[in-house]
Amino acid sequence: MSSKDDEYDYLFKVVLIGDSGVGKSNLLSRFTRNEFNLESKSTIGVEFATRSMKVDGKTIKAQIWDTAGQERYRAITAAYYRGAVGALLVYDIAKHLTYENVERWLRELRDHADQNIVIMLVGNKSDLRHLRAVTTEEAKTFAERNGLSFIETSALDSTNVDMAFQNILSEIYRIVSQKQIRDPPEGDTIRPQNYVSSVVSNTVLVIIEQLFNHRFCIYSSDFCTIHQWLFVLFINL
Amino acid sequence: MNMDKDNGHDKTSFWKKNARTVPGRPSPKKDVKPTSKTKQTGSTSFHDFQASVSDAWEIDDDDDDFCIISGLENTKISKKVSQSAAINVLNSHRNFSDVVMPEKPISTINPSTSDAPESLRCSRIPGRPQQMRCRNTPQDEDSESKLKRFENYLSNAPTLQGLCELSWSGVPVKVRPIVWRLLSGYLPMNLERRNNVLERKRQDYWSLVNKYYYADHDENDRDIKHQINIDVPRMNPTVPLFQQKTVQAIFERILFIWSIRHPASGYVQGINDLVTPFYVVFLQEYIPNNQSFETFMVDTLSEDELKIIEADSFWCLSKFLDGIQDNYVFAQIGIQKKVHQLEELITRVDETLHRHLRSHNVSYLQFSFRWLNNLLTRELPLRCTIRLWDTYLAESDNFASFQLYVSAAFLLYWKEDLMRQNDFQGLLILLQNLPTQVWSSSQISLLVAEAYKMKYMFADAPNHLQSNRFDS
Repeated sequence: MSSKDDEYDYLFKVVLIGDSGVGKSNLLSRFTRNEFNLESKSTIGVEFATRSMKVDGKTIKAQIWDTAGQERYRAITAAYYRGAVGALLVYDIAKHLTYENVERWLRELRDHADQNIVIMLVGNKSDLRHLRAVTTEEAKTFAERNGLSFIETSALDSTNVDMAFQNILSEIYRIVSQKQIRDPPEGDTIRPQNYVSSVVSNTVLVIIEQLFNHRFCIYSSDFCTIHQWLFVLFINL
Repeated sequence: MNMDKDNGHDKTSFWKKNARTVPGRPSPKKDVKPTSKTKQTGSTSFHDFQASVSDAWEIDDDDDDFCIISGLENTKISKKVSQSAAINVLNSHRNFSDVVMPEKPISTINPSTSDAPESLRCSRIPGRPQQMRCRNTPQDEDSESKLKRFENYLSNAPTLQGLCELSWSGVPVKVRPIVWRLLSGYLPMNLERRNNVLERKRQDYWSLVNKYYYADHDENDRDIKHQINIDVPRMNPTVPLFQQKTVQAIFERILFIWSIRHPASGYVQGINDLVTPFYVVFLQEYIPNNQSFETFMVDTLSEDELKIIEADSFWCLSKFLDGIQDNYVFAQIGIQKKVHQLEELITRVDETLHRHLRSHNVSYLQFSFRWLNNLLTRELPLRCTIRLWDTYLAESDNFASFQLYVSAAFLLYWKEDLMRQNDFQGLLILLQNLPTQVWSSSQISLLVAEAYKMKYMFADAPNHLQSNRFDS
């Protein structure tokens, strides 16, 4: 979380969404600061934190936006979906209602986020075994049917928290890097589906934006990747 | 955005006026059978009738009092008074800050630094920097002479205008409960009517609770209650006072009743934080000297005392929020408007800072939304919030716009620290965790003085707030 760890290969913006009280803020604090508060105050609007992770030898910096769960805030929080390449859609395994509302959150993403955003369904509070109201199988089936990846976490005892972020970042990275391999510069004019290209161009925009902000930290190797990225961006436009 | 127009808008008492013709709280339940559900608790049938009509509160004559007294001509703080106060505060702060607040090394400002002192550690959690420790060291507003002035003033046919002027720069703890009741328009200035009004209002609150809180709820009401029940227990997790079931139940009732009386907004997360200052101020009236409210066991108070604290907190909160209702309606237009105004204002007052933020893609919404939604309660220690609200309450109807200038002053206060941050991440993390834990009322006095200066310069010269600079 220090602003010194600014050397990274990719920067991915990820949003945390889901009903009020499912533990979004604690997932964020567990992941970025390894902290947990049994009772943490409600999030007002949005809050922000970052952490870098290694994926395939590359440093991925995750810029994570934690949002308020109450419906009233959606008009405000939707503004933060712009440019997000990943979303962790969180519910509480001990509160069935928060799971039922997942569909509403998916609609929310469909309406406001990039259509190719990578979404991971996260069943949080897996430590509350005796209170479980949503079975793993049920959620897993739902996730498969909707093309989401799925994981159960516990921000309280740290189970799978890093894994959840690692997985979604890897998935985003895979799409980005596959895109670079599959689309060589002199590439075919018929590109695979926009699925990849749009995510990549979105990512690249964020990356370029950030690299310009961090121009003092750019090393020579970055310059050649910038060229590649710019090119990818160019052919995607 | 034309500030003058906005002020004018506020001053025409938009909410009040509407409340008269369109009460804004038309509860069908209330209107259909006004008396059938009301328990006959020995009160007069007129009282029952009054309690059951939706806008009974608005026709109360003490409200009229409030409207008239806080009308256009009277709420303005005398410029001379406030300005000289502002200059005094600025000077004393300058001296104070030389001694006590030396320039902070970056390490204490950047909350991520590992050697940050323990007291700063909690600042690392966004939106949770609030340390509620109320120091026992006397604050500026608690000087003997100031208390004397208040006591003299209050005992001698006070006027609201006079009380506003006196309170603007801070209210002594000892008289704060009564002064807040007066300033918020809950308690009439007229001494003879006070007891009557208090008694009736407190009764009114409890009949509302009996009628609505324990009634069957429709889906919307259940949603509200559910959200309140999620938020209240986690308001101040480190303060024992707020872990007591009795206290949590009090907050839940206040918030629920407020919500059903304000259907246009309903309960919005963050409003719960706005009850806290009122509750603590009114509770302190009953806490023996020098005992900290944080660990106080409210169950040691009598039921009547608890009821009084709760009802008074409710009414003062209601009056207080009247001026900023549009902050909480759908899409929170009031806040969006103020965020925009804040940006315009900073562009004019400090273009360097504005450019710095913009060049790193920091948008004002990202950090100032919470400031405005929670009236800085998440950014300041409670003792400072309470001191800040002395001024807000003294601004009465103008506080909605004054809040904007305070936010601007708050941002500018951190300019140096912000200018040192040279990326988006650093800026945002700092802005979410501004190190105010050591603040006392002197910083707040400085803040409101700066805010007043800005308001004086810009609100009274509305063209300053128009974006003509960009048009050329």
